Amino acid sequence: MMMALFQRKVLVNAMVAASLSVTVSFAGSAGAGVTQAEIDGDATSTDDVVSWGMGQQGQRYSPLTKINKENVKKLVPAWSFSFGGEKQRGQEAQPVIKNGKMFVTASYSRLYAIDSRTGEELWQYDHRLPDGILPCCDVINRGAALYDDLVIFGTLDARIIALNQDTGKVVWRAKIDDYKAGYSFTAAPLIVKDMVITGVSGGEFGVIGRVEARDAKTGKLRWIRPSIEGHMGYIWKDGKKTENGISGTTNATWPGDMWKTGGAATWQGGTYDHETDLIFYGTGNPAPWNAHLRPGDNLFSTSSLAIDPDTGKIAWHYQYTPNDGWDYDGVNELVSFNSDGRQLAGHADRNGFFYVLDRTSGKLENAFPFVNRVDWAKGIDLKTGRPIETGVRPGDPAKSEGGKKGESVFVAPSFLGAKNWMPMAYSPDTKLFYVPANEWGMDLWNEPVTYKKGAAYMGAGFTIKPLNDDYIGALRAVDPTSGKIVWEYKNNAPLWGGVMTTGGGLVFTGTPEGYLKAFDDKTGEELWKFQTGSGVVGCPVTWEQDGEQYIAVPSGWGGAVPLWGGDVAKTVKYLNQGGSLWVFKLADL
Amino acid sequence: MNTTTAFLRKCLLAAFLICQVSVVPAETSPPDPLNSVMWKEMHETLLGGGPVVFDERVRVLVPGDAEDSMNVPILVDATALGNVSRILVFAELNPIHRVLEMEPVQAVPLIGVRIKVQQATPIRAAVLTDDGVWHLGGGIVDAAGGGCTAPSLGSANQDWASRMGEVSGRLWPGDEHSRLRVQIMHPMDTGLVSGIPAFYIEQLEITNEAGEVLTRLFLHEPVSENPVLTLNLPQAESVVVRGTDNNGNPILAQVRSGVM
Repeated sequence: MMMALFQRKVLVNAMVAASLSVTVSFAGSAGAGVTQAEIDGDATSTDDVVSWGMGQQGQRYSPLTKINKENVKKLVPAWSFSFGGEKQRGQEAQPVIKNGKMFVTASYSRLYAIDSRTGEELWQYDHRLPDGILPCCDVINRGAALYDDLVIFGTLDARIIALNQDTGKVVWRAKIDDYKAGYSFTAAPLIVKDMVITGVSGGEFGVIGRVEARDAKTGKLRWIRPSIEGHMGYIWKDGKKTENGISGTTNATWPGDMWKTGGAATWQGGTYDHETDLIFYGTGNPAPWNAHLRPGDNLFSTSSLAIDPDTGKIAWHYQYTPNDGWDYDGVNELVSFNSDGRQLAGHADRNGFFYVLDRTSGKLENAFPFVNRVDWAKGIDLKTGRPIETGVRPGDPAKSEGGKKGESVFVAPSFLGAKNWMPMAYSPDTKLFYVPANEWGMDLWNEPVTYKKGAAYMGAGFTIKPLNDDYIGALRAVDPTSGKIVWEYKNNAPLWGGVMTTGGGLVFTGTPEGYLKAFDDKTGEELWKFQTGSGVVGCPVTWEQDGEQYIAVPSGWGGAVPLWGGDVAKTVKYLNQGGSLWVFKLADL
Repeated sequence: MNTTTAFLRKCLLAAFLICQVSVVPAETSPPDPLNSVMWKEMHETLLGGGPVVFDERVRVLVPGDAEDSMNVPILVDATALGNVSRILVFAELNPIHRVLEMEPVQAVPLIGVRIKVQQATPIRAAVLTDDGVWHLGGGIVDAAGGGCTAPSLGSANQDWASRMGEVSGRLWPGDEHSRLRVQIMHPMDTGLVSGIPAFYIEQLEITNEAGEVLTRLFLHEPVSENPVLTLNLPQAESVVVRGTDNNGNPILAQVRSGVM
């Protein structure tokens, strides 16, 4: 056979390895694109949604008032769209909308372009995923970014794909890293100064977290900033990769070689504040979970990093849980807001505390619990910015009999967090944060562990337990100044969807039971709900089109809770998967 | 030469226009030598109803019987025509008709490839010459079927992604041309298998050492898994094969000439 013949002698030079970003040559550019100015002004523009967070600061506030407390009862579906396929799972995306087109991502790295007036599909992109992907916490995707004529999103095999908004054809694709080592990317990219800013997922596999900036038009790298001390950052000058200083100081807060597989995955999306010109990116837990193996603060895990977009250097950092031993990632969003002329930022951490930082310096201004039970710390010392720990930590397995399993402790919150990934909202009208919180704890114990590429690197066992019989989820209106909970809405199942608030005095969020709900932003009174058919763990958005205000939210139960929820499973057992997008407007009647 | 156009039909319907084009109305379009039920539709959708002629100079070699519906070797040879600007290969009874397009540029208008067939089908090559006329050749392959809706063999192997994009091949120097035979590892998923999205090499460009484009290929889902291509190129010591799939994954390799 011919084939056998020429396979005997292979006369081919592989030239692929070095090329990380590929521009596909034949894709053209046409029509008015999304400009950086439009992205920067997204928080105040009402006829589009062109950024994650409905504005780069991440407030998820729309000034629109057409749908308000008086008429929200008349909200009815305008159209619904099915993501199709046999694969469903969690739908955690936030849609983006521009020029009559809606772009929404779905589970299994799928992206849909939909006519925002009719709900008809324009095109869809199904990423071909290899079998060996290692997503820790469901095969979700949190959304796409728009830039120029591109729609850009990350995939479960750690690629960034930029497609033409009109055709759905790939314009460029960049490889973030090796999915076999545990890397993936599920957050929505952030667009800052004509760059795509992304992180990496894979903290449970000992990957090294980092924030990367790429040219948004070509996907070519501009800088890399690792989120673990000791690792070198890089910047590209005239196309040349140049050393840009290591993050922190090697071995200052990490023992031995542990920093080399130190985690701090940057698996959430970042925010950007144009007033201070800083990118805020959260970092995950240090690896492994077993903290006895890594005495020290373990910078820059469980922190918010403020990164200068021009230099790729860390301007400041604030660490929420030094020497995290509970998997209290610090990835949750840092939302910029101004109060009495001061530039502040709010952050609701997995560890149960709400933090207010001075966003020009990272200095702690205020910190208070936003859940009813926090076991690991009594509070946060406002002078030092450090937690006052109670000593409730799992025991060291090395000191146990046989050295196999350390003493187990019960601690609240659980590692799924007082608040997980689901983004909160801030209303400049009420000056309140609306935080999707959960009340749960966990039994937690440590085990010995060594790093192996592509294998879970945890060294811990756990089981999650609800703290109350009647609810786990609680949407809470939090006053960042007084630390008071102004109102709360309790939900039977854990809340796992994003929150949005509007100038119409409304707060929207979804529930695993399938409802999209609207609340009075001052009282918490439930004013409206709609059953979408599957759990809502996506992020609602609103925009104006042809003189009417619309609201959209993905529906489809999934995410980390059904996979990791332990004893919570009985609460969510009968919640069925789905995969659709719902769009609402006021009834014409 | 018998040709027909959509434009012409509009003329006939309008009835009053004088059409200067020397063509024959659709009802008497050239009889299809393969007598295919799909021909009329293919003519409209793939060739835009443009002027066509069934031409023996377009040779399409297909096996009478496909031993393996997922790997049917075909050879399209339009060398006898000259001045070829484009070759379009299609399988009429496949759920996805387009198989590949070739812009010969400097290459001989000839291509050997393996394709998937869903059932017994006419396989045709439409060859566009510089005068805007499509010259058609074709053959019928009998097949047990299912080639487009069975999962690629590679997808059964968990490790398929690690070899994806690998290129093996060789250039054979000849008196006038260098013959290139190249295989690219790729699952070439049609999207018709449940749970596996369409995933296929979309474009390939072959350049010589000076960077001149020798030929361009546009592949579609029905090209077999791990495509094997045979081309006749202008003489070269080495060529670069460059391309992308529909997910933007790169293909880039240099293929050298050599003696066994």
